[in-house]
Order: sequence, then C-alpha cells, then structure tokens
Amino acid sequence: MRIGVFICHCGSNIGGTVDCARVAELSRAFPDVVYADDPMYTCAEPGQAAIEAAIHEHRLDGVVVASCTPRMHEPTFRRTVERAGLNRYMFEMANIREHVSWIGKDKEANTNKAAELVLMAVEKLRRNTPLTPKSFDITKKVLIIGGGVAGIQAALDCADGGVPVVLVEREATIGGKMAKLDKTFPTVDCSACILGPKMVDVAQHPNITLYAYAEVEDISGYVGNFSVKIRKKAAYVDWSKCTGCGACTEKCPARKTPDAFNELTGPTTAINIAFPQAIPKKAVINAAHCRQLSKGKCGVCAKVCPTGAIRYDMEDEIVTEEVGSIVAATGYDLMDWTVYSEYGGGKYPDVITSLQYERLLSASGPTGGHILRPSDGREPKSVVFIQCVGSRDKSVGRPYCSGFCCMYTAKQAVLTKDHIPDSQSWVFYMDIRAPGKMYDEFTRRAVEEYGTEYIRGRVSAIYPDGKGQYVVMGVDTLLGQPVEIKADLVVLAVGIEASKGASQLAEKLRISYDQYGFFMESHVKLKPVETNTAGVFLAGVCQGAKDIPASVAQGSAAAAKVLALFARDKLESDPQIAQVDMRRCVNCGKCIRCCPFGAIKEVEMRGEGKAQVIETVCQGCGLCTATCPQGAIQLSHATDNQILAEVNALCQC
Amino acid sequence: MPVLEGKELRIVGFLCNWCSYGGADTAGVARAGQPTDLRIIRVPCSGRIDPLFIVKALLGGADGVLVSGCHPRDCHYAAGNFYARRRLEVLKQFLPVLGIDERRFEYTWVSASEGQRWQQVVTVFTERIHQLGRAPRFDDAEPLLKLADMALTSLRPLGTGQTAALDELKDAIRAKLPELDCVIGWQQGYDAAHTVPLFIRKPEDVDKLVWGPFNVNNPAVYLPSFKGKKVGIVVKGCDSRSVVELLQENLIRREDVTIFALPCEGTLDMARVNEKLGRYQRIDSVSLDEAGATIVADGTEHRFCMTEYAQGKCYGCTTPAAVLADTRLGTPTPVQPGTVVPPELALLDSMSLEERMAFWRGQMERCLRCYACRNACPMCVCRDFCISDSRNPHWMSQEDSPREKLFFQTIHAMHLAGRCTGCGECQRACPVGIPILALRQQIARAVAQLFDGYRPGLDPAAVPPLLGYEVEEKNIHERDWK
Repeated sequence: MRIGVFICHCGSNIGGTVDCARVAELSRAFPDVVYADDPMYTCAEPGQAAIEAAIHEHRLDGVVVASCTPRMHEPTFRRTVERAGLNRYMFEMANIREHVSWIGKDKEANTNKAAELVLMAVEKLRRNTPLTPKSFDITKKVLIIGGGVAGIQAALDCADGGVPVVLVEREATIGGKMAKLDKTFPTVDCSACILGPKMVDVAQHPNITLYAYAEVEDISGYVGNFSVKIRKKAAYVDWSKCTGCGACTEKCPARKTPDAFNELTGPTTAINIAFPQAIPKKAVINAAHCRQLSKGKCGVCAKVCPTGAIRYDMEDEIVTEEVGSIVAATGYDLMDWTVYSEYGGGKYPDVITSLQYERLLSASGPTGGHILRPSDGREPKSVVFIQCVGSRDKSVGRPYCSGFCCMYTAKQAVLTKDHIPDSQSWVFYMDIRAPGKMYDEFTRRAVEEYGTEYIRGRVSAIYPDGKGQYVVMGVDTLLGQPVEIKADLVVLAVGIEASKGASQLAEKLRISYDQYGFFMESHVKLKPVETNTAGVFLAGVCQGAKDIPASVAQGSAAAAKVLALFARDKLESDPQIAQVDMRRCVNCGKCIRCCPFGAIKEVEMRGEGKAQVIETVCQGCGLCTATCPQGAIQLSHATDNQILAEVNALCQC
Repeated sequence: MPVLEGKELRIVGFLCNWCSYGGADTAGVARAGQPTDLRIIRVPCSGRIDPLFIVKALLGGADGVLVSGCHPRDCHYAAGNFYARRRLEVLKQFLPVLGIDERRFEYTWVSASEGQRWQQVVTVFTERIHQLGRAPRFDDAEPLLKLADMALTSLRPLGTGQTAALDELKDAIRAKLPELDCVIGWQQGYDAAHTVPLFIRKPEDVDKLVWGPFNVNNPAVYLPSFKGKKVGIVVKGCDSRSVVELLQENLIRREDVTIFALPCEGTLDMARVNEKLGRYQRIDSVSLDEAGATIVADGTEHRFCMTEYAQGKCYGCTTPAAVLADTRLGTPTPVQPGTVVPPELALLDSMSLEERMAFWRGQMERCLRCYACRNACPMCVCRDFCISDSRNPHWMSQEDSPREKLFFQTIHAMHLAGRCTGCGECQRACPVGIPILALRQQIARAVAQLFDGYRPGLDPAAVPPLLGYEVEEKNIHERDWK
C-alpha cells in the first residue's frame, strides 16, 4: 500500500502546541507511508488540492489526515480523496486538535502523542477496504412531534413543500405555550390573533394529518424509513362526531376540575375544550374528575350531546405511521419554582408564575382578561415582578439563562399599566438581556413610558403583612441598600426546563440530550438543527431556550432540512455495516439474539443455517462483531483486525 | 512506539463515536486541560468493544484501559451499552485471576455534552494509573509453580456407582437403538482402569457400555457433529448440563437427541491416578467398592478413595442426576446445601496478584499450544474456525510465547462466559496438567455473582446473561468519579 500522511497545523491551533513538521518526519518511517507533509490549513481549498495532487503524484492509495475531530471534517476529506479517484473509505483521520493540541500543554508529549495517533490511523488504514454504498427508497413523509409554534411552522412549511406531514400533539389542542400567551413582545401583538390563523391552516391543510391528544409510543427504523407507533389517548369523545358546540361543557356538573390550560388559575369542567380557538376544537373528558368515569353515575354530557359523540368506554388506540424523517419540537415546561422557600414555596395565593399571569391577562382566561388577585379577586395596584426564578441559579441546578423572561416581564409590566392605569410595577432583575430586534427599545419603553421601576438585585423574602398585602424584601445592588416593597401581587419569571418526558422521547429517537433534558444538536454552531441521528431534526425550545421568532425560524429551518432530504428519490446507505463470513458461521444465533435492530436473519445455505445481515437495516453498531465467538461477522471499517491493529500500534512492549 | 519515559504511562481508551468521543471533543473545544497519556480508539458503540481487546492491550503492555460509552438508556444504537455494561463488568471481575489489577481497567459513561465530566474522568483515571505505576509485565514475571490441594469435603457422599442400574440402561438403549443413528457412551479403554468413548451403532455394541468412576469423558462434546441425525447420549449429571447448553445455543435439536441418564456418584481424577500408578506393564485387576477403586498393577496394589481422588469438580457437584433426560434410572444421593470453591480456584484465591501473574507465567511456559483443551470443550463450537488459528480475524500471533498462550486461555474463558458448565474437560485433556479450569471457574463465579446466581446448563430456555441485559442492573453500579 502507498499511504500519504498530512499533518495539519490548523494555523496555531495545532501548530502552537504540536511540532507538526516533526510528526510528519516521524510518519515517514511508519509502514507503507510514502509521503508526508504538514500543510497550514488542510481543509482549505489549497490544502485539499495538495492532497489531490499528492495522490496523483505519489500514486497514493490511502490517505491519513491528522487534524481536527473526524466528527467535523471526515466527510470533507472523504470527498477530497474521492475526487482524486480513491474510494472514500481509503481514508483515516487522527484527531490531534481536540484530543491533543487543545488539551495538553507539553509540546514534547503532544508531539509524541500526535505521532502515535497517526501511527494508529496508518495501521488501521492499512487494513481498510474500499466500500460502496447501496441506495434505498425513502418514504417521503415527515413526523413532527409537538404542535407548538415551532412544530406548527415546521408542519406548514413541509406541507407547503408538498410533503405529507403527521403532526403529533400531546395535549388536546395544538398551539403550545404561545396559545396561552395574551400578547407578544416587542410589538404587543395579540398572541391568539397571530397564532390562530396558523393553527387553522394546520387543521385545513390537505397535507397534514393531525393527531392531537396523542403521544409517540415507539420509533423504529432509520433515516428514510422510520416506523412510528402513536398512542391516541382516550378522549372519551368520538371526535368524528364532536362539533365542538360546547353544550357538554355547559352542563357538566364536575365544575372543580383543575384547568391545565389556564395554568390552574381557575377551575373548569371535567369535559372540556381547552380554549375557544382550540384546534382541533373537540371536547375531552378528564377521566380522574368525570363523575361517570370515576364513580359510575352522571352521564349528563352523553344526554346533552346533540351528536351522540360521548364514548365512556373509549380506550387508547395505537396507530402506526411510516415516515422518512422526524422533527422534534417538544418545547419546554416551567421548572418547579416551589423549591424557593423564600418566595413562599407555593403557599401564598398571590405569588404566581408569569405564565399564570398571562392567563389572567388573557381575554380567554378565567378572569376574562381582567387582572384580579387569585386570593380575593381584587385588582392589584402594586405588582412586583421577580426575574431569574430558576434561571442562572446554580443552587437549584439551573445555571443556564432561560432567554426570554427579561422581555416578557417588560411586556407584562407594560400590560399591567394598560389594564390598571393607576398601578405601579417593580421589576427585580439580575441583568437585562434584550439583544433582539427592537428588544432593548421595548424595555426602555417599559421604564420610560410606563414608569416601571427596575431594581437591580435579588429578593430575599416575601411574607404577608396580615393586611392583605405582601412584603417583598430585597436589595438594590446599584444603590447598595435594602429595599422593601408592599405588593398586592408578585409575579415570578420562572425558568424553563425541557418538556416533561423529553429524555424518554430522546431515547426513542436515539438522539442525545444534555443534563437538563434539552436535545443535543449535531454541532453547536454549524448544525443547530440536525441531530446525530440521520433524519431527525430539532425545532424550538426542545433544543435550548429561545423566543418565538427564533422558534419559528428553527421550525422553518427543520422543514428546509426535511425538504432537502426528500429532494432525493433514493438515499445512500452507509456501507460501514456488518458482513458475515458464511464459511465461519456456525449458526449459533448469538448475533441474531442481540442485534438491537433485528438486522440479522437466519438463511439456509447448502442445507445449513447461516446468519445474514439485512443491509438496509443494519446500523453499524458492531455489537454482533463483539458477540460472535468465531469472528464470523465483521463490522466493515471497524473489523477486529482494524481495532487490533490500533491496539497493537500502542501495546507491543 | 515507546512511551515517554518518566512522563507518561501507556493508557488506551475505547470511546463510542456518538457520546464519549463527542464528549472528548467537547472537552477539547473548551480547552479543558487533561493529562496526555491517553490514546483514544474510536469505535461506533461501546457494544462493539470485545472485552478481549482490553485484555490484549493489558497483556501487551498497557498500564491502563479506559472504556467510555453513552449513558445507559441513551445509546445511539438503543441497547449497545447495556450489553457492554455486562461484558465489561464480567471482565473487570475476571482480570484479577490473571494477576492483573482490576483498577487498571475502568469503564464509564460520558455524553457528548459532558466535556467537563470527560476532563474529570481522564484526569482521575490517569492519576490512578500513575499511582499504580507501570504495570508489571507478564513476560518479566519470575515463573512460580504451585499445586492445588485437590481433596476437599464434598457436598454429598461420593461413590463408584456400584448400585447403578446399568443392565436396565442397556435394555433401554437396545429398545431405542433402532430409531437412532448412534448412542454415545463409554467403553473400556486400553486397560480396565481407563475408558474411552463408545459409539453404539449395532445392538451388540450395547454390551460394551460401562459405568463407574472411570467414565471421565464428557460425551456431549460429540453432539454438535451429529447435528441433523438422531442420536442418543448417556450422561452423568455434569454432562447433561453441557447438553442443555448446546440445546440453548441451537447447536443441536431437542427432537434429535435422546438422553439416557444414571445418577453419578463421582469420577476419578485420572491425572492423579495415573501419577500414582506410575509406569506399569499391565493392570492385574480393578475392583470397585462403595468407597473407591483398588487397582493392582504389576502386582502392586493401589487404593483410590473417592474422598481423596475424585475430580475437583465432583466435590461441589450439585447435579449428580441429569438436569434433562428422556430415560432416567436410579436415584441420586442427596446433596447438602452449600457451595464449594473448586480446588483450582481456591489455589488462585490464595495468591496475591503478583503471585498469580507469576503462576500463569510458569504454567504457560509448560503449555504446548496443542489446543487439547479447546478440542475437549463441549462448548467450543467454532471448531475449525477458532479465532486462535485464523488470520482474519487475526487475534493471536503464531509466536510461541507464554503471553500468547495465556491470551488464548483468556479467549477461551471469555468466550465461555455464561456458557461454561464447569465440566472440566479442558483441564482433564491438558497433557501437561495446567489448572486452566480456574480461569473458567472465575468467569462462572463472576457471572453467578452478577446475575442472580445464574449457572449455565440448567435451563434450555434461559437467556444467557451476556446475551441479554436489564435496563437497571441489580448488581452493577456506576462508579463515582469525584
């Protein structure tokens, strides 16, 4: 074999702490290496051209590039060697940046380590074989999980692009958190007025199948061909008959049912339609509070329903959808702020979350859009907003910024003044983070036009003064003095966390999530929409805190990724899959038993049973290779011999 | 390449591509400084890691090996790390029997987002390896020869099968023989003190069948070669566990096999019997009584009490009766509850890590690499395709070194994890008497400890522990990296 080795300086990123020329010199002594060089930027146009030239000039049949992580530029260099006529798998990378130059200070040790990593790559490359991908058909249909604004945008863009969409929403209506908001910053647009039409579009779009009140049960398959089991939860109402007239909700006697849509600010009925603009506008029975379902006697809704849609015997139903791509848009939930005992830990009725405050502001909310205190229904004249409750706080395990609370707090202060002109608002803040278009101007307006008092500092305690008000004790760190405010209502800007069940969904999707449950993008800067699982994309807050415009933008971005994927008629399968040496196979079935994908089947060959890999199903994990005692099943590109060669390159004492 | 003398030790890492390799990248991007000793091998999944890669590295001079994969439940391939967790834990419990400090091998879970955690894992593990120092090299060990004390207290009275219903067994075989291609049993060998396997094909062959303490061979070893034929087999209790294991692995079919069983009262350790008999011209007589055998050779009488001369495995035997049989004659002697650490394993247990390495160094110098151990093993089903003499995959060099020989024994032991029934044929077949059974016994002990007392060869329908997993493992716990 004739191997060429390229040791990248990456400017000073590698060259600063690794003697690249020395590594190249050492590499020339490695087996089969006939050429070595140390270019400044290997991934740049001239660097790639140099590789191509060297392949031609030195008749190379394999290339090692020692540079950054293969998770970054392996595809780049594979294309480079392919342009020069080599098979793209006759290429190996040594990661001497992330794993060497950026983590070690000792130049001698780094240089030696880099050379050893190159040797390992050379030894592996000497055992590489050319691999050829196969092509397979794709199902041009997309599953979107989550019907908040990000999921809605992704669904509409995909559907407009001609792709059939399956939209799954856990709640009875789409709309997500945005549907609960009264107004949106910085324009103070009515949230329902701008979201409503999009929701209607979803309902009416011929390319969209909506499963509301449903959850993803199981996902199998791979990019191009996922099979998804969806659990349609029992609504106890036949939605094909329900017209959303609301007769049932008027007559339902279980009037103390907690109202999740209204963030528990008021009660609702056991049979319920979340809000007037709900999509689909269908009733759902809350089984835990329904008298018929919990006690067996009532049946009022069944009697009053003009279409006979009530079905007390309804059960969950599982439907299966075949899709080629998946967009996760599962949004967020508020963290449990009651861990803050200094804010009453949930004891005081007039200390509420900002999302509860949105419901009090909203005309579709429990107070009809009048701000009334939960405790006594009185109009508050003095409102204190506390920011960063569960954001940027390591003590409760939430070190991250929730991103949009500064802005909605300013909006809520503005709205408070609009609703109650003789009111006064105070905002306790840590920093004002208003980097968006027209954002900082908006916070200035809250201060300058609406007279909101911004106090830079934290609140140390809230307690009732016994006369119907709350004493809010804090500190003004700019003036360096304690502050005490008598408040009628306290609104907490509660930090966000990943949606409940996000990590379980990540496991079903086989994507990574961080320690807070937010889904991991493929690259933090350059692949913010992709995941490490091909065909699965992210939209909205499920990937990390972002506001409405950013969520919408990412929804569209995810749709663009789906449409780009589906622009092809066939996908290429990764040829790095397992292969069976039929001669060695004794048909013990161990590989079949442990394959996580059911990608190995037993076939008959000259009267004997043998294992065979189903090429389009195999994902290339190599579990079978580690399981087969006779080494009869080998994962291409990570064969026993290749890994042993890497081990032996290091351990031959 | 040699390690940087005085600066570094040799530490090999195996990282899954999706989580831990990404985590190491994240640490790099964050410029999270780390010791420079570690060399990372990228594999698709922790499930790809054959524990033998780790043994290969450790025997080859690595001072430490670190494996890292996705957190349990977060595997890119759904379940690869669940399998890895079981296999790596078994390996961790196995290494000390070779004389390798188990602290030199560690496995953990690091996600792609956990750059800081990766920094901590590398730092803590490298510090640990530097504290342990350079690993003792197997090739440098001074050979140490020690013998096991083979006589133990048995869980049941051992005997010679005087009351066994041999004649009824013969009748049963004769009756069934027309339906069978062959029945495997034992016949007298070159003299009355030795037996060899018997393959009954004609009715008159039945009379050659013998029963007693000389029936040491495990006839199950021949079963896979009869796959597809109707075959009968006469078994002792321990042999029947091998039959069950072969059924479990789909290497024979239940409907093809007819099992004849007599209760076993113990078999003789022929290595020690032969040693006592010494060189002789002829056997004058062999007489059996309940307590043992009396052999007169060249006019000299030798007494072999079963309490003293039984095979090591017989003392702790809990299955004197076959666990699975079609024709079962006689009643076995009752077994006391309890466990007996087999003598070979007890010997290793009594040694320090250094002594164990020296012990194996000495024993492996004697190994002829004849592979009799492999050929006698009923669970060595790869037969002609054993990876020890293949080039693709090329696990072992042809170098005739003690290290390569020990590596072969490790391959055998690891391949038997959760499968070895402890029949001891490997050790019995060894022409130079190396107590290699101890390695298999340690694996079996680890498997039993980790997986609720699982013992191979009792249930043909059981899922072998290393071919399954639990999402929450009862006896495997994540380690602290603080």
